[in-house]
Amino acid sequence: MKLPNPKQIPEFFRHINDYTYRFNPKTGNFRYREFRGLKDDVYNFYMWLKVWKDMALLVAKGPLNIVKALFRYQWFATYLSYPAFVDRATLGMRGNQLRMARLQYDRIVKKATQFLYDSFSADENFHPGNKKAKKIVLFDELIPCEIMAGFPNLIGIPAQTMPIFLTSILDQNIVPPYLDASENFGIPADVCPLPSAETGCALRDDYPKIGCCIISCNMPCDGSVMTSAFQERYFKLPSHPYGVPIRYTEEEVQPYAVEEMKELIKFIEDVSGETFNWDTFLSAMEVYNQETRYELAKWEVNRTPYPQMTGETFWIYRMFFYHLSGGMDKNFLKTDKKVNEIMMRGYQAKAPCVKEMRHRCVEWSCPANFYPDFSIWAQECWGIYVVAAMETLISDVIIDTSSHENALRDLALTYQRCTMRKHTKGGYRNVLNELWTVCEQYNCDFVLMYDQISCKGMDGLSPSSTSRPTSGTSGCSGWPRICWIPERSPSGRCASR
Amino acid sequence: MKDLKHLYTFEQLLESANNPLVRQAVEDGQLALGYTCYHMPEVLLNLPGCFSVRLRAPLTGSMDIAGYYMANFICDYAKSLLERGIEGGYNFLSAIMGTETCSEMNRTLEHFEIMKLVPNEKFFVSFLDMPFKVTENTVRHYVDQLKVKVLNPLHEVYGVDVSEDAMRKAVELHNEVCRLITEIGQYRKEENPRITGYEFHILNLVSYTCPKALILPMLRETAEELKTRKPDAKKNWRVKIAVVGSEIDDPGFTKLVEDTGALIVVDRFCFGSKPGREVIELPEGMPVLEAIARHYLTTSQCPRYMSKEKVHERHQTVYDLVKDYHAQGVLYEQLKFCEFWGYERALASYVITHDYGIPSVAIDRQNATGSSGQLRTRVQAFIESLEIKQIQAEKGVR
Repeated sequence: MKLPNPKQIPEFFRHINDYTYRFNPKTGNFRYREFRGLKDDVYNFYMWLKVWKDMALLVAKGPLNIVKALFRYQWFATYLSYPAFVDRATLGMRGNQLRMARLQYDRIVKKATQFLYDSFSADENFHPGNKKAKKIVLFDELIPCEIMAGFPNLIGIPAQTMPIFLTSILDQNIVPPYLDASENFGIPADVCPLPSAETGCALRDDYPKIGCCIISCNMPCDGSVMTSAFQERYFKLPSHPYGVPIRYTEEEVQPYAVEEMKELIKFIEDVSGETFNWDTFLSAMEVYNQETRYELAKWEVNRTPYPQMTGETFWIYRMFFYHLSGGMDKNFLKTDKKVNEIMMRGYQAKAPCVKEMRHRCVEWSCPANFYPDFSIWAQECWGIYVVAAMETLISDVIIDTSSHENALRDLALTYQRCTMRKHTKGGYRNVLNELWTVCEQYNCDFVLMYDQISCKGMDGLSPSSTSRPTSGTSGCSGWPRICWIPERSPSGRCASR
Repeated sequence: MKDLKHLYTFEQLLESANNPLVRQAVEDGQLALGYTCYHMPEVLLNLPGCFSVRLRAPLTGSMDIAGYYMANFICDYAKSLLERGIEGGYNFLSAIMGTETCSEMNRTLEHFEIMKLVPNEKFFVSFLDMPFKVTENTVRHYVDQLKVKVLNPLHEVYGVDVSEDAMRKAVELHNEVCRLITEIGQYRKEENPRITGYEFHILNLVSYTCPKALILPMLRETAEELKTRKPDAKKNWRVKIAVVGSEIDDPGFTKLVEDTGALIVVDRFCFGSKPGREVIELPEGMPVLEAIARHYLTTSQCPRYMSKEKVHERHQTVYDLVKDYHAQGVLYEQLKFCEFWGYERALASYVITHDYGIPSVAIDRQNATGSSGQLRTRVQAFIESLEIKQIQAEKGVR
């Protein structure tokens, strides 16, 4: 028997680990798990177990609620697929990159299970007349939770995040039934499917019945504005539309933004009977600032020739800590600290996160929720590494905690630079000129431009975005290739993977 | 009925955005200020030396060029304006006063800026930041925006007089047009109205798209003519309906609906008169600009207003209009791909039928609908269902 040449063994492992070799296009599954090396596989397995532990703890804390929820809410069973989602999202990762991604996904599952626990234990569908329900303030998912730091006795829950937004990232088949519900009601099929699915969830009576009030908002887009009328009609709670300036880069709109924030605080005070606690708020903002600094460090490192974090982990975690932690959950800070240590270790050692980076890429416009691991595919199959994404590059405002007025002013600024705002509102410069600036900053030669076919903000700009930057805007060194990717964010029905 | 004396002239005026009256005003040295949304106070664009033109792109055929710059999921109205702009159809404009109210129109107007479509060095496009509810804070904000985005640039770039006195004069002129249109609109409440929905639509449209001072004499004459106009003894309509929804600048749509046997007695749509032709009151002691801002914020029926009160007000307003004008049903229409009205027509048609008990139909349509057979069939079916309800009601059948 002829023994294999020892020099060919690494090549053999590279070959059998190859994404395209393992993937079976007929079934849509991988034939077997990749082999990352003993150390990484052990770590990966350990973190996989931790995810299951957190999910088991959720069940253990309220088994009856979970069983009821499984039968009551169609979306809930989707969370069983979270471990598989993390597997997909970490494909091909090794060493530092794997560790950072795993730590961040671990924090997300912990926060998600906490929200699910709070939602079900306070759900009036399961516990009519319970007191906890009245301690909950429901928010539109696009409103960051920071303001709730001033109400330590209340719980802020983004109404649509758990039923629709996060589930649509986990499972591409969960949104269509809700879309069907809204389309059956008469809502056109051409609107953005995210707010449409949220409307469908209300029409199908699939939201937990919780809350003393609901805060709607005009972010990020026209569709989101319109879904609020349906949801308010469904929840039957006192409601407050929180207005965020549209031309948010203009100085003149800022006094209006601050006043809106004050009105929001007053509304919550009036409905809940609680008083806004400036001490807890400012201390949470200190934590938030620290989290933001860690985030800015990631940006800085990714601008160098040694980026440490690529793929969708970057934006998914950013959206989650930004919206859900709000400086109140210090565990996020712990995760950030650990991730930062690993990242800086890699950066200082000038260790590339991958062996060969063919293209440094910017992911622009809103990513496809139904196919979040697209960037992993691009990375594994084409060597296109996402070092910056629009949804990561949201607010970078450090909140001045020296006075109440300053803190509110900066928080108002932060809220204006929220998820999905760049491509939807405030003018074309936010989406176009900023793209060229980002390409330059991150030295990118490639743009994955998500073309959300129902997003009116991007529909209105499509091909003109590919025009060269006009004089006066930041140009990048060498013209980046722009690859347009038609998609329909949480719904994979019209534009498939 | 005998044709209105100026109807043909009005129809001719609507065949082009740059119609003879617009050309005459521009030749007289007036500034043509284009706008597309109710939230841009028309009255402020009629300050001395200026006149407002609510932008339309009549007789648009192909939209291939606009289709290159904007995707297929953008409404035809927005795309047709861009197409016409690229063709040079708005070269007479001195400025476009935009509002960032809906994304699609906002992108259209941005293309005027990006592509420098109007060959005029002083030409500018300005965008208001519009609030989504009516509170003291939003009124203040709106007033600030009107100063910064409308009055200041007009004064700085073109030297327009933006004083309180100038605004008062503009309000007077605006109110005269509104009184005339409202007076004419009152005839639609009659048992057998002396004016058709199509005629009213034409009159109202010219009041939006032509220089006020030049169109006023003809409107006055038409109002006088209508005072003695006799409707046909035999009704030439089968049911009265209200049309509610998004932007309609195509009188062909009204004609299509009325050709099927309906009479449109309420126009609660963008470019309609409800709202649009209410007199602006100037309370004593209140700055004119604030009074104007309050007027537009409180009268607007746009679905982008999110507060519960406004949502309820929209439904109640339609109900009240239906009762006032004796309409038998409501036709909710949505310009295809309009995000706001896509949601609103679904919810409002449900509410108006199930909560208020008024029959309704919800349709989507293209911008130019004159020859749409499908649309005609749907409207016919709705009219027949209203007739059946009427017959059943007369017979006492439930």
